[in-house]
Amino acid sequence: MGNSTRLILMSLVVIAAVGYLILTGVKQTGMQYMTVTELAGLDRAPKAEGFRLDGTVAPGSVEYDQREPKLQFQMTDGKENISVVYEGLMPDAFADGREVVVEGSYRHAERAIYASKLVTKCPSKYEAKGLGKDKS
Amino acid sequence: MSELGRLALLLGFACSIFAVGSIAWGLRTGYSGPLRSGRRAVWTVCALALLAVILLERALLARDMSYRYVAEHTSKDLPLHYAFSALWAGQEGSLLLWLLILSAYGSAFLFAYRKRLDPFYDAVAMVIATVMIFFTGLLTFVSSPFRILATPPPDGMGLNPLLQDPGMMIHPPILYTGYVGFIVPFGFAMAVLLLNRSGTRWIEEVRRWTLFCWGFLGVGILLGARWAYVELGWGGYWGWDPVENASLMPWLVGTGFLHSVMIEQRRGMLKTWNIALIALTFELSIFGTFLTRSGVLTSVHSFAESNIGPWFLSFILISGTAATALILYRKALLESENRMDAMISREGSFLFNNVLFVALTFATFLGTTFPVVSEAVTGTKISVSAPFFNRVNVPIALALLLLTGAGPVLSWKRATASVLKRNFVLPTFMGILATGIAIPFGAEGVYPLVCIFGAAFVVTTIVMEFARGIQARKSAETSALPAQVVHLVKKNKRRYGGYIVHVGIVLLFVGVLGSSVFQKEAHAPLKTGEALHIGPYTLTLRGVTERQKENAILTTAILGVERGGKFVGTEHASKALYSKSQQPMTEVALHWTPAEDLYMILGGVNEDGSASIQAYINPLVSLVWGGGIVMVLGTLIALSDRMRIRREEQVG
Repeated sequence: MGNSTRLILMSLVVIAAVGYLILTGVKQTGMQYMTVTELAGLDRAPKAEGFRLDGTVAPGSVEYDQREPKLQFQMTDGKENISVVYEGLMPDAFADGREVVVEGSYRHAERAIYASKLVTKCPSKYEAKGLGKDKS
Repeated sequence: MSELGRLALLLGFACSIFAVGSIAWGLRTGYSGPLRSGRRAVWTVCALALLAVILLERALLARDMSYRYVAEHTSKDLPLHYAFSALWAGQEGSLLLWLLILSAYGSAFLFAYRKRLDPFYDAVAMVIATVMIFFTGLLTFVSSPFRILATPPPDGMGLNPLLQDPGMMIHPPILYTGYVGFIVPFGFAMAVLLLNRSGTRWIEEVRRWTLFCWGFLGVGILLGARWAYVELGWGGYWGWDPVENASLMPWLVGTGFLHSVMIEQRRGMLKTWNIALIALTFELSIFGTFLTRSGVLTSVHSFAESNIGPWFLSFILISGTAATALILYRKALLESENRMDAMISREGSFLFNNVLFVALTFATFLGTTFPVVSEAVTGTKISVSAPFFNRVNVPIALALLLLTGAGPVLSWKRATASVLKRNFVLPTFMGILATGIAIPFGAEGVYPLVCIFGAAFVVTTIVMEFARGIQARKSAETSALPAQVVHLVKKNKRRYGGYIVHVGIVLLFVGVLGSSVFQKEAHAPLKTGEALHIGPYTLTLRGVTERQKENAILTTAILGVERGGKFVGTEHASKALYSKSQQPMTEVALHWTPAEDLYMILGGVNEDGSASIQAYINPLVSLVWGGGIVMVLGTLIALSDRMRIRREEQVG
């Protein structure tokens, strides 16, 4: 067997191994990325549990028990709502109306996401809005 | 003043175009006049960028609220040093900093080779100037930092509290110095192809530039991790967040390149591959900036969605296509001079290393962009996060760790059975020994054990390499061991600097292992006098205080920390409520020991006056930072080789 053959063989083995890792990784850890409306519109429990949702915190819906700590709120995309339960400290930038991303498992019976990860986007307040027009 | 700023950037744009045109003309005709003018134009862009930065800084420091950028990112109560660092808090300022560093690289490059009349260096400058066109153009026509408000507000909107941290004052400039620096290797590679140059001299030069910016990028990544650790308050330092990944990817490919380039120098092989790696590193740097700034992917670090995404994407597409086309066009130039003799050899291990680095980058890239990719391929959006990266990247990284030990002790061309035996028996034994020692301490699972084995294996091979080097010189030396080690390192800085970087990597691996696998967590609401137990520690709440800071109200829980019943210190875990944004910011209390960090967060004060405290024990996390410092040291040693060679050149 020539060296170039071996080289190609080695590369193939690595590619196959990495491909295997990626495929099983996606299968076991992949989350369906949906809008709140899409998830709320499901009439049956979905096969896979892992979900990722983007949306905003519905104003007035936040319940936070700092002692547990446990955070519950309604997430909205303007049309539908989904409950989110997150056992952890409230992120600093979290507030009514903020854009958030949650990842976790969906329980269809409760229509709620049990989030394992909650990311708050930085408020857009820090950028352009509210300062009015440029001087022409 | 703002007009002057805009004018500076517009002139910069014009000068960049002139530089490219003039150098291209000079290269084509062989006249040296246009080449000289082109070089001067590059210097001029640097001066203009510096002027623009000074003007913007002046406005920031004066809190001149008529500037949109100033009003968006500062406020009158913002401390002066954060007003200074607000230059890189927003998109326009960040792009300006990019341009300044880019043009500084261009000028530094021309300065370093000012005595070389070879038009090759002009061609490199031309490539750098091409990228300057892009950035000056963006800053002039799309995203100007010098926009003036029709009605200036009485006060600005303030700086994002997350960025009000000493780490954030140095992290972005250092990271950018790494990112942007890859323009020089890219310029070298493109110039080689454009001028159809053969030979390996440029390879040695490009290696040093790459090492330089690779080092900066690494430090930038670690500073970012450190910032996340002390500032974001979730107990960790790396979350496989898109922006973190974006900075990691060029570093990974760059690392691969730094290895495979040795094969080209030594054996004249892998030329196409190396050029492709340089180009990929550069494109990934641009891609990183794109990810950070475009808001395509959700990230804790992406501060805004913006209009520059399509521009960056187009730039990556065009420059990537141009680079690929050039590589294909000059295929003959990149013909390999040698063939691989055997797989079990230095070359073979480096090649394997490269395949793994690229695979690691690919997996990271795929995971980062998975929602976009899966939607394009299957129509459904699938997202992956930390668990995916841990599953996929950890085994690849461990394979690389093992190679770190194996590669350097395999001989070039072909490693014989006796060499293998001589070099591998002791490290393998030490690896097994370390694993055996770790198991009673609670290490379990395949990956942690492989990591411990690999760490001991690599360290042993490096110690053996040093020992062998000293042995070889023994006859001439009678001095003490440390002096001998120093002498050895001085003799071949590149090689032993590299080994020292490897030691840093091992420390990093062990630190990551300790802090991820053995992390402990506990939380409870505490009233004054009550205690929280975590591992050997007892945290007793002494009281809660509240005080007014410059631009925030600071609530602090004072915690008495005991370890095994012995008092070790008082720590302050705080929450700052910023007056401008009404946003709370966690300020972590860190009780640092070399073996472990006790990490304490104040969740908040409850109605009944109790304070919610969350605590983590992060074992060995100091090895992550310590490993970084060792890597910097090794990189500096390897880089210092350059001066010596330079001097020799001047003498000869």
